[in-house]
Amino acid sequence: MNETGEFGAGMRPEALLELALALGGFALFAALVVGLAYLIMRVLFLAVPAPAVVRFLSWRYLIHRPTNLIGVVGIFLGVGALIMILSIMTGFLDQTRKSMRGSLSDLMLILRASDRRRPFDAEKILEVVRADPRVAAASAHLSWPCFITRQGGNSMFMLSDPQLSRNAFVQLAGIDVDDEKSATEFHASLVRPPIYGESVADPRNPFAPPPEYDATVGMPRASVIVGDQLFDAHRLRRGDFITLIIPVRDEQSEYGFAAKEREFVVAGSFRSSENEMDLERVYLDRGQLARFMAGANEDDPLPAKATSVSQVLIKLHDYERDGDATAEELLDKLRDSGVVDGNCLLVTWEQFRGSLLGAIENERVLLGIMLSLVLLVACFTVFAILSMMVSEKRRDIGILTALGATPRLSLLVFLAIGFWDALIGAILGACTGVVLAIKIDGIERWLSDALDVQIFNRAVYIFDTIPSVVEVLPVTAIVLGAFLCTLLFAAIPAWRAASLDPVDALRNE
Amino acid sequence: MTSSEIVLRARDVKKSYRIARRELPILHGCDLELARGERLALMGPSGAGKSTFLHVLGLLDRPTAGSVEIDGDDAWRLPLEGRARLRNERLGFVFQFYHLVAELTALENVLLPAMIRWNSFTFDSKKAELQERARGLLGRFGLQERLKHRPPQLSGGERQRVALARALFHDPPILIADEPTGNLDRETGEKVLELLFEEQARRQLSLLLVTHDERLAARCERVARMDAGRIHNGLRG
Ligand SMILES: Nc1ncnc2c1ncn2[C@@H]1O[C@H](COP(=O)(O)OP(=O)(O)OP(=O)(O)O)[C@@H](O)[C@H]1O
Ligand SMILES: [Mg+2]
Repeated sequence: MNETGEFGAGMRPEALLELALALGGFALFAALVVGLAYLIMRVLFLAVPAPAVVRFLSWRYLIHRPTNLIGVVGIFLGVGALIMILSIMTGFLDQTRKSMRGSLSDLMLILRASDRRRPFDAEKILEVVRADPRVAAASAHLSWPCFITRQGGNSMFMLSDPQLSRNAFVQLAGIDVDDEKSATEFHASLVRPPIYGESVADPRNPFAPPPEYDATVGMPRASVIVGDQLFDAHRLRRGDFITLIIPVRDEQSEYGFAAKEREFVVAGSFRSSENEMDLERVYLDRGQLARFMAGANEDDPLPAKATSVSQVLIKLHDYERDGDATAEELLDKLRDSGVVDGNCLLVTWEQFRGSLLGAIENERVLLGIMLSLVLLVACFTVFAILSMMVSEKRRDIGILTALGATPRLSLLVFLAIGFWDALIGAILGACTGVVLAIKIDGIERWLSDALDVQIFNRAVYIFDTIPSVVEVLPVTAIVLGAFLCTLLFAAIPAWRAASLDPVDALRNE
Repeated sequence: MTSSEIVLRARDVKKSYRIARRELPILHGCDLELARGERLALMGPSGAGKSTFLHVLGLLDRPTAGSVEIDGDDAWRLPLEGRARLRNERLGFVFQFYHLVAELTALENVLLPAMIRWNSFTFDSKKAELQERARGLLGRFGLQERLKHRPPQLSGGERQRVALARALFHDPPILIADEPTGNLDRETGEKVLELLFEEQARRQLSLLLVTHDERLAARCERVARMDAGRIHNGLRG
């Protein structure tokens, strides 16, 4: 947009107008809130048995002393920022949690080969798993590391890619399409609009050769679905041929393994919207992967000794309720029926990502504590302003006393000012914070557009939109907390007002 | 009405301040009687303790010893609220420096005693009547055009007239004035005093007036003199 490079040329002229409109709207809203606070005041003081002067004078002080606005603005900013930041952080954490879960399914059976090296029987395992009434669906996986090269085998460029250099190995995931769809988010990742890649032609039959594939070539016969970002890193197109190189066990070799390679056709890309998956995973048919590993042709029957399964992903009807119990009982059942041995594990996704989830929880608590300090600062502004007010208004306190006020009345007048500060600031802050939190994505896009700078780089994060979750409880807690905190802080100068000697204030001009 | 009816009586009032851990006596046992409808001038050199004494009488400053009777009750033995009520209903105070609330208009300043006496509900229900009375009072003091002015927008004389209207709003039987013209030029002060005396006579107020002006004192029925914390001639007869 800003091709001339001239300073300020990036700012769209309409952006200024939109900004003015938004600010105007906010001013109108603020006026409404003040009006609302006034109404609350009128109604509240009909019920409170305090002298009329408390209501009258506190409001008058508030309006006539612009310094009081600092207190209001302080609370407004504190509450607004707190709600916005907390919502966005909650969104980030929730999203992270969700995406961790999406790729993992509820339970995962990890099949670790014992020394006997008897291959596991996927069908038998699935049968036992599905027999459990708590299980909704199960899908067998065969995972294997591999290298990708393009036709012509130029694997060097892959290593020069900064994003890929640490992911030189990608993960081949052999799946059964129908099982995978019912047990995981696989289907969603096929139909989600890609950022860089190209969707598969038919999500119902994703491993079908793509329309771009020329059947007359004859080879290759099996296809793969590549993660959105990996697709881009290799500059792939649908229908391209890629060569996968995998390590296989080979006792004759010096290192105990040898490499096998085979050509596949790219059926399209998937996007799980989880960075790691989209960068590292390649799906293909489980049977095809097993044949590839065993060195059998695409059309051959699967050799009896072939490894065909390495994990089973299990989805439950009610994970929250049954997760932990099912994980334990199902593993016992599998061992009892002899389809798995002692090396195997059955874990819930939370156990699998236990330390990460703990870190997230930790972060949330830490964040809450740190952000509470923001509120404390806001409350402190009220304290400072009110302390100033009390010093400034010593004489008025003397006058009121001479006219028949008790110390309690002086206290109430200043406490009431703190109350208005808190009321207006908290309402304004809560509404603004919630609106900003909900609209943050649009606001960021607008700002990026208006300033011609990218503020939130969506490619860097695993999210397409800036996530934010506005929860009623934290918002209520923040508003109430700010309110009570302010009143508490206001009580100190108010108490000082009550304990002032009225005579001192009356002696001189 | 018996002319000997005493509305305000101070007996042996002593007051001392503690300055740097030393007791500094200001009032050494002052006696004073103020009868209903009486004008009493209190004179004395600067620093004699007149203002201090008035603050004790006005229930703003607690005496170290002695008593202040208002309507026969020992006011300093009453609870806090009781004294506040006496200040609000029985006493009117006029200060040398007006002491108006800067954020309020002249009219609102006059309404202050009412706003202190009543809660919001009662005040709102009486508002029209109260405002009418405040307007009437200010009108009588020649301030009908200044109702919405705030103190900084008023002259000294106007401010003191507003202060006088505020002191008289509840029609208190006792008016205590501490050099009410001390901050005004002679002519303006004269006008304020005319109003003060006029209202005093009309309402049969008991007026305790501190002044340095002998001519003003001469217009009062009785003159008490204060010197170095002692009062001469404070009692009647
Ligand atoms: N809070 C206080 N602490 C200590 N001393 C005080 C205090 N207030 C007043 N005084 C002293 O009490 C004495 C009497 O003061 P006061 O104001 O009553 O005098 P006054 O007769 O009203 O004088 P003036 O005519 O100048 O107004 C003064 O010497 C003053 O320094
Ligand atoms: Mg004095």
